[in-house]
Order: sequence, then structure tokens, then C-alpha cells
Amino acid sequence: MTALVTFGIYVFGVFVLAWLANRAGRGKAFASEYFLGSKNIGLWAFAFTYAATVASGGSFMGFPSYIYSHGWVCAWFIAGYMISPMIALGLMAKRLNQVGRIAGAITVPELLRRRFESRPVGDLATFLVVFFMFFFLMAQFKAGAEIMATLLKGVGPYEAAVVALESLVSGLPWLGTANGDYLLCLFVFSVSVILYTTFGGFRAVVWTDVMQGLVMGLGVLLMLVFALVQTGGLRAANERLAEMTPPRSVVVKLERTDGSDGGEVRVPRGAWVLLAEEDGGSAVRLKTSAKLPAGAETSEEIEALEITTPREREGLAARVDADLPVLARAAGERAVYAYGDGQEGAYLRAPGPSRSSPGGFLGVMLAISFFAFWNFSGAGQPSYMVRQMAFRDTRILRRSMVMIALYFALIYFSLVLIFTCARVLLPGMEIESDRVMPETAALLTANAGVPWLSGLLVAAPFAAVMSSVDSFLLLVSSGVVRDIYQQSINPNATEKQVKRLSYLVTLVVGLLGTIAVIRPPQFLQDLIIFASAGLGACFLVPMLFALYWARTTAAGMIAGMLAGGVTVLALYLAGRIVTGNFEEYLLCGLHPFIWSVLFSTIALVATTLLGKPPAESIRRRYFGKSA
Amino acid sequence: MTQPEPDPQPTEDLAASFRQSRKEFLFMLGAWAFFAVWTGGYNALYAVGREDEPVALVCGMPSWAFYGIALPWALALATTIWFAMFFMKDTDLGEDGEERA
Repeated sequence: MTALVTFGIYVFGVFVLAWLANRAGRGKAFASEYFLGSKNIGLWAFAFTYAATVASGGSFMGFPSYIYSHGWVCAWFIAGYMISPMIALGLMAKRLNQVGRIAGAITVPELLRRRFESRPVGDLATFLVVFFMFFFLMAQFKAGAEIMATLLKGVGPYEAAVVALESLVSGLPWLGTANGDYLLCLFVFSVSVILYTTFGGFRAVVWTDVMQGLVMGLGVLLMLVFALVQTGGLRAANERLAEMTPPRSVVVKLERTDGSDGGEVRVPRGAWVLLAEEDGGSAVRLKTSAKLPAGAETSEEIEALEITTPREREGLAARVDADLPVLARAAGERAVYAYGDGQEGAYLRAPGPSRSSPGGFLGVMLAISFFAFWNFSGAGQPSYMVRQMAFRDTRILRRSMVMIALYFALIYFSLVLIFTCARVLLPGMEIESDRVMPETAALLTANAGVPWLSGLLVAAPFAAVMSSVDSFLLLVSSGVVRDIYQQSINPNATEKQVKRLSYLVTLVVGLLGTIAVIRPPQFLQDLIIFASAGLGACFLVPMLFALYWARTTAAGMIAGMLAGGVTVLALYLAGRIVTGNFEEYLLCGLHPFIWSVLFSTIALVATTLLGKPPAESIRRRYFGKSA
Repeated sequence: MTQPEPDPQPTEDLAASFRQSRKEFLFMLGAWAFFAVWTGGYNALYAVGREDEPVALVCGMPSWAFYGIALPWALALATTIWFAMFFMKDTDLGEDGEERA
């Protein structure tokens, strides 16, 4: 409960900042202020809004989940971040800001539209931003709801509200299949973020990003100290990790231990239940909730997780809830990891254990792909580009690059250390690994005797999610208001009309994002990688050419954007057909983003060279005399 | 054309700043390639396919992660700081076109 108070204070702070931002923006041109903070963002604000937007729910929820599930190989997975502040900011920030100012643009599609004096270029860019950004939004909403659900677990009024909501939606199509805790938290989270983003606009997003960035940094540092102390240091943690082998999945039936005339028994998701001696003893963790109706002796079949490391199994009995009158019996074969089963040290080496891939989690070619992916797809994200259009001068850019490089080194490497330690401290999180961050925060603070601090630590990933979701929300609504309504539907719209529509669209887009994740996809990070790859594929190469090659034409831009986007979509579709899951097809072992860069470049250059050069006036305007 | 054209920056200044931006762009690509080869090459050799050997620890972490990730990360950080403070030049970004139009 004390954690909840800390957390509540944090959320209150966010709302105060949004209100102050709204006041600060009064009296300025609405669209430029609401969507770009009047292009007057200073050092701290620029550095933190950039860092906080990059370090999204993916970094604080999805990435920890990967580290927990696959081990040290994730340090290689994320290694591209070592150079990403230089690449993602340096590659185009200066030119982007300059060209944005010459064009008088507020959004990325608007910049492209004006740079090429072509409406189709702007319209296509708007469509692609809105399409791929929506997947980002979905991922962030899921992450926000998961964090809240973890934080609120065990709080009386909340648990009562969950039960009430579950009875309310029970039997309803679609809604009724979602977990009550997730549904309630999704609603609360969505309403809060949508409200403060709608109310405060870009300046609110930037200001709250500064606060959220500081909270994230502090939270990670505290978690690192707690994790290292509680595992006995990094060496001790990794020596334990070296003994570990991946868990197995087992289908079980729950059997009553209180006699056949007992009442209804409900066993929550995540509960540890003793496994019958003849099935191997120890305890298993349930992947879904289970119910034994009054009079029934056994439950239906449910999936559970079985820990295989001998030292871990010894301590599991203590985690079993003695008040639950049930025993688990295996009802089928065990499903083992496709790579790493029974292999000690798998969590310390590449390619890392994998449930589904026989080649392991991260092959060499894929690791190299990700080294390019994090840098160049990062540079190609419109949500980062729009920030690069907002800083005041290049001194701010240079200093921000230093701050962000230090910040990323602190955050990302520390996350690897924290969550390899978390594997040692918190067994069985594979059943809901996207929740490992808040669960670890709660455990570390409880062990340290400062449970109230868990609110602040949980606020770190929550801050990451909020700071990303608000940015993406604003980007999508700016696409609709500025690039569709103002450009194509009503170019003479009054400021009042634009203002009202901006509020309305931000609200509607947020609600649609919420509805889309009522039944969320299983893996957060997969959605984020898909959306990053799609946006990077559509915008990286075309934007680089737009900024650095004066010869680029509007037709070349359209060809480049389409080729990049279609390549990513086609390879994800191929992945879906081949594996049956939402995952990419690795042509020659390389991530689709790499192929998209190649095809986008070929399409853009070929189409440009086949067409007429752009007018000299455009060339002079954006590149000067001797370019 | 969809919007009234704002006045461009003086073209000489713009051309010079464009050339400087291009120089920085090429340096960054070189730096990226250097660190990609270091991490990719080292880890391909020492992190993969050694299932039969015990994993050596350096500073508490697997040795491949120390030499193939932590060390290049520290150098990349130093390179970024040097690049931002000494190599990258300040440029006049100009006034906002819409405000001037």
C-alpha cells in the first residue's frame, strides 16, 4: 500500500506538469506549440525527451523479459545502443532541424511534403506513420496495464474491483476473455495518459519526459544496487546462472486434497502448486488461473511451468500456498526448449536458450542485424525525428548527444546486470515474463525492507511507457490534424477548429489504441520490433536521401518509402505463414529491416535517376549554391 | 506546390553547413562500422559454439561480454563524447520558415 502512495505521488506530479505546460503554451501559435513546443526546446528537455522516448516500454518491460528468458546473449542483442546516440542523433538531426526550419514544417510528413513540393509524398508519409505507430501504441498500452496490475496486486479495494469487473464482463464476447486485472488497469492507465497528453500537448510531453527520464535513471541505479547486494555480487549471481537449465512446460490437472465434498476452489494464475511425487515432485507454476467447481475432484487440463535446475527446485516448496487444497498431476508429455534444454551455462552463452527456435535465441547474423537495427531504425523513427526538429540550436544537440550517451550506457548495461540477477532471485517468471520488471522491483524492495520504494522503482518502467505513449499519441494525432485535415480537407481552418480537432483526435486515437489491446498480443517486444522495423524501413533511407542528396525526386521518395514498408510487411507475412506466429522471416538469417534498407535504397535511387531532376529553386532552397 | 514558399537561408552559408553535415555523416558511418566489426567479430568467435567449455568470468561477467560488449561500449562512449564536443561543428539553423512567411 505504501508503494501505491509513492506511485500515486509520481502520477500526480505528471499531471501537475501537464497543467503547467498547458499554461506555458497559452498565447502561442497553437499547432506549432501543441505539436512541436514552438521549436524552442532546451538542453535538458531535449536530451531527456529524446532518451525517455527511446527508452520505451520495450526497454523497461520487453527487454528485461528477454534478458530473463534468454540470459547474457541479450547484452549482444542490445549492443547497438553503444553507438546509437551518435548515429541516431548525429546522422540527421542537424540537417533535419535546418531543413525543417527552411520548410516551415511541424511534422515529418509536412517536412517531406514541402521539401519535395508534393502532396502524394506527404500523404503517403502520413499514412505510414499512422499505420506503424499504432502498433507502438498498442505495445505501450499493454505495458502500462501490466505494470499497474503488478503494483496493485494484493490491494483490497483493487482486488474487489477486479472481481466485480470480471463478473460484469463475464460471458461478453471479446471483453469476457480478458483477465479482469489487466482490463481494469488498462482502462485506468489509458484514461490518465490520454488526458494529460490531450491537455498538455508536446510541451507537456517534453516536460514530463524530463521527470520520467530522471525517475528511470534513479530507478535503474537503485535496482542495480539492490540486485547486486541481494545476489551476493555479480560473480556470485553469474556462478548461479551457470548452473541453470531452461524450464519445461507441462500440462497438469489439479486434484483436490480436501475431500470430494469441498466447495469451489479458485487457483490464481501464477500460483505455485505441489507436483505429485510420481510425476517428479517439486512444484509447478500455473500459466493460467484454474477452477475446481464444488464437488468436482479434478480440474480441466491447464499448462504449467516446471523448473529443472536442481538447486532452484529445492526452494520451491516454500513458495506453495499451503491454503490451496490442491495437488498437480502431469496429464501429458513435457514440452522442452528447442535450444538449451538440459544445457548448463546456456544463459551465459550465445545464442541463448529458446523455446521455439532450434538455433537458439540470437544467431550471429541476427545479432549483427540488430547492431544495425537499433542504430539505423532508431534514426529512422518519426517520433525521434520530430524531436530533432524541435531543439533550439546545435550546441544543445551536441551536449545532448553526450548526455544521452552517458544515460544509455547507464540504463541499458545496468538492465542486463539487474535481470540476470533477477533470474537467480525470482524463478518461474517465464509464465508472464513481460511482468518481470515490476515483479523484480517489488521483490528487491521487500527484501531490502523498504517496500514503499517499490512504487518509485515501478514508476521507472511506468515512466518509460508513459513518455513513449504520449509521444506516439501526439505523433499520430498530428498526422491526422496537421497532415490530413489542414493540408487536404480544410486548409483555411481557424486556430479554434485546429485546437478542438487536435484534442478530439488525440482522445479518439488513444481510445482506439486501448480497445486494440483489450486482448493483447503475447509478446510486447515483438510488437515493438515490428513497428520500429516498419517505420525505420519507410523513413530512414528516404529521409537520408531527402537531406543529403539534392537530386532526389518526389517519385524516388515514394518508391523508397513503399519498397521499405512492403519489404518489412512481406517478410513478417512470410514469417507468419512459415511459423504460424507473429514473427519475422529471417531471409539468409538477416532481420527484415536490413533487407528493407537495401530495397528502399535501390528503389529510391533507380526511380530518381530515371526521372527528371528536381527544379533548381528546390535545390538552392535546401542545399545552397554549391551543393 | 501546396504551401507558400518561405525565403531560404543565404545559399553560401547553407552550402557550407551542408558540407560539414556530410563530413560528420561519413565519420559516423565509419565509427558504426568499426564497432559493428568489433562486437560482431569478437562475439562470433568467442560467444557462440562453445557449449563444452566452462564460461570464464571477467569482472563478474562472461568474458565474451566483457571484451565484446562492455569494453567497446566504453570506447564508443568516449568516441561519442569526443565527436560531440570536438568534431561536430555548430551551425546556424536559420529561422523557422513558417514564422517568416
